[in-house]
Amino acid sequence: MKKLGALLAVVALAMIALGLSSCGSSSDKEGGTLSVSFSSYPETLDPQLCYTVEGWSALYNTYIPLLTYDHAEGEAGSEVVPGLAEDLPEISDGGKTYALTLRQGLKYSDGTPVKASDFKAAVERTFKLNSGGSFFYSSIVGAEELAAGKAKQISGIETDDASGAITIHLTQPRGTFTDELGLPFVAPVPAGTPDQDQSANPPPATGPYAITESDPGQSWSYERNPQWEKNNAKLMPDLPGGHVDRIDATVTHNQATQVNDVEQGKTNWMFDPVPPDRVGSVRQRYEGTQYREVPSISVYFFWMNTTQPPFDDLKVRQAVNYAVDPAALERIYAGQMKASQQILPPGMPGYEKFELYPHDMAKAKKLIAEADPSDRNVTAWTDSLSPNDEAGAYYQNVLEELGFSVKLKALGADNYFTVIGNTSTPDLDTGWANWGQDYPHPNDFFEPLLAGSSIAPTNNGNFAQIDIPSLNKKIEELGREQLGPQQEAEYAALDREYMERAPWAPFGNRTLSVFVSSDIDFDKVIWNPTFSGDLTSFQLK
Amino acid sequence: MASPPNAESRPAGGGPWGLALRQLRRNRVAVGSLVLFVLIVAFVIAAPLWANQVAHTGPNATHTLEKIEVGGKQRDVVSPDGTPIGPQWLGADGRFFLGADGRLGRDEMVRLMYGGRTSLFVSLAAALITTVLAVALGLLAGYFRGWTDAVVSRLLDIVWAFPVLLLGIALGTALAVGGLQIGPLSISSGSIWIPILIIGFVYTPYMARPIRGEVLALREKEFVEAAVAQGAGPLRVMAGELLPNLSSTIIVFFTLNIANNMLLESALSFLGAGVQPPNSSWGTMISSGIELIYSDPLLTIIPGTMILLTVLSLNVFGDGLRDALDPKSRVRLEAHAGRFEPEEEPA
Repeated sequence: MKKLGALLAVVALAMIALGLSSCGSSSDKEGGTLSVSFSSYPETLDPQLCYTVEGWSALYNTYIPLLTYDHAEGEAGSEVVPGLAEDLPEISDGGKTYALTLRQGLKYSDGTPVKASDFKAAVERTFKLNSGGSFFYSSIVGAEELAAGKAKQISGIETDDASGAITIHLTQPRGTFTDELGLPFVAPVPAGTPDQDQSANPPPATGPYAITESDPGQSWSYERNPQWEKNNAKLMPDLPGGHVDRIDATVTHNQATQVNDVEQGKTNWMFDPVPPDRVGSVRQRYEGTQYREVPSISVYFFWMNTTQPPFDDLKVRQAVNYAVDPAALERIYAGQMKASQQILPPGMPGYEKFELYPHDMAKAKKLIAEADPSDRNVTAWTDSLSPNDEAGAYYQNVLEELGFSVKLKALGADNYFTVIGNTSTPDLDTGWANWGQDYPHPNDFFEPLLAGSSIAPTNNGNFAQIDIPSLNKKIEELGREQLGPQQEAEYAALDREYMERAPWAPFGNRTLSVFVSSDIDFDKVIWNPTFSGDLTSFQLK
Repeated sequence: MASPPNAESRPAGGGPWGLALRQLRRNRVAVGSLVLFVLIVAFVIAAPLWANQVAHTGPNATHTLEKIEVGGKQRDVVSPDGTPIGPQWLGADGRFFLGADGRLGRDEMVRLMYGGRTSLFVSLAAALITTVLAVALGLLAGYFRGWTDAVVSRLLDIVWAFPVLLLGIALGTALAVGGLQIGPLSISSGSIWIPILIIGFVYTPYMARPIRGEVLALREKEFVEAAVAQGAGPLRVMAGELLPNLSSTIIVFFTLNIANNMLLESALSFLGAGVQPPNSSWGTMISSGIELIYSDPLLTIIPGTMILLTVLSLNVFGDGLRDALDPKSRVRLEAHAGRFEPEEEPA
């Protein structure tokens, strides 16, 4: 009995030890190097210019704006919280004045103090760089004068470096402005940062990680911001500081290789969703331990240039909507796409499902016959990343079935949006595009993509170049108001009104995925709805 | 001393071409390769027949949502999770014989046949361009010598200095974006003539230099002196005297060049600098098949095998043709290998 008792005690102790060691927290370590892969290099690492998911994911923990988004998943991750500012803004004057205070004592990674005037300089820089996000701030008093070259600075932003006070005056109320203050576009950078794309030499950081190496097109690396632990973390205690000491990001164009690298532990996380070809096997082997799927608030669509033939004809655009079958695209995206034919995605306030153009090729051909477009030579654009390139090939097939002669141009994802966002690019007839939410407000799907005011010569997001004064006015009016049930109903109506004009043929909302290597604590990884994988949440086991 | 092989077995009479033909016919491996190549050509020529009569679809037509009947049951061409149907062989009356090519649900067999037409057409057309350029430059350089030779040879050296694949990729990428515009000549960026011209251009030195060498030797022969003495001008000498004597060399190089062109076209198309989608070539099929290599490796293996068989058949046939048309090359090779001592040529 004594021997048995001793044996049982040893077994019990061993089981306790095993139980403790299997708990994630005790086996995780602080420090180490995180290796991540992207299938394309962000279009820029300059915070004032960056406007892709890749870029925002890369910059989320490097350049902190006055406000930021909570480091959480789902709805919580869309909540705006204080960043470099002490608190959320005080809004007064009927929604036209925003007052914030910069936390005192903040420093950039190079030791330079962060000043209130740096915020003003950052906003001005978005206009000087002709950033695709500048329209978010065009309602600031004096912004349009700066954009037009009639002023050298934005008069509507007052700053006091001594107290850290920042006051922003708007020409009219803007219901989304608090959300927009949390976007990387207006993250302060040191005064004197050149008015050129700084991807090769990113500015000093305010967040927990600074970009220390950058080889555009190939790779970039982060190291811990020395000023974070020493200084900034104490001033922004609610923001996470990250677990690893270094992050190496490399571009791996082949997505199958990305999957292999994660499986073999050569890479800890792949930014891109697992390619359709591998989803089945990855899901089977790793779901729940290294892999999970996450819905995204996004829309995938084919835009049509409404300013030139043949898509300047409404009947042609409506025909395309009847001809494109979202169910086919669901399969092309290997079940990672939910069919939809409208602008707002499920999960976005204001979304109400409707279907104006149920798939009907006969009806589509009838509309084309009625329209009888004289110009039937069309160039369709897509990016070369699978399965977007296959979506492009499908779309080409559909257009050819409608009687068009189609040249398909597939561009690398690194510069796809730069090319189609340049309105002087020849033959910008139609093409593939997608859009993910910047913040949980329906205006984010209308103003940057469909308002006439957002058409820009470069970094254009209104690929259809649609400009309807009555709808522009509705966007503007709704944008001024705070979001409530009334506004949501009006956005739902606006969705339908735009689709009646068919500037796009939307086809679905994407499901994305998180796939990490076995040496990452999977349960701790945070997928933010706007900034995707939160690099501060990755911890090595 | 030992005699060169086959010297006594060569029958008399029939002229040089007849002799060469008989020599070739004795080379069963070369004949077999020719038969294989002819079968491959017949296979790709039959593409419209197969597409219209058997598969009932074109090479670019998508069938993502369609179902086909296989063994009395309806099957998705592309399943809801994006998996394309595998080879059906004759199970669906010939439709999707080799399966679907991916999530677009295009008939792989039809694309293979049409892709072969593209690959062969590009290879052949490029070989013709190479031959025309190489013969012209080789003749000019070898006949005129002096400054003409110096200039032409240096130009060829410049092109030759670049690795063929890198030069092809650089040109292909540049022209795939903007097309080609030289004076009145305008070729759009997606045109098949872009890869044809690029391949034809980059291989020119590989043919021009040997031709130049032969011309340098031939122009010292008595028949050339005789023609010049009779008042023949340079053009008459090059076209009437030298060119016929170069024909066997040209034919052999042409054949071997087609094989090289096919490999280069496949590489350029694989890298996106050759044939542009949705047109298929064996190279583009390998490129798109790579994305599905884990779930459906046949999509890569099949076009790769076709390239292998075509290049192999052309190379083996080309070697046999060279041996038949220019036995001295085989004599030189075997003497070099120490198998016999060649007879001295009479003074």
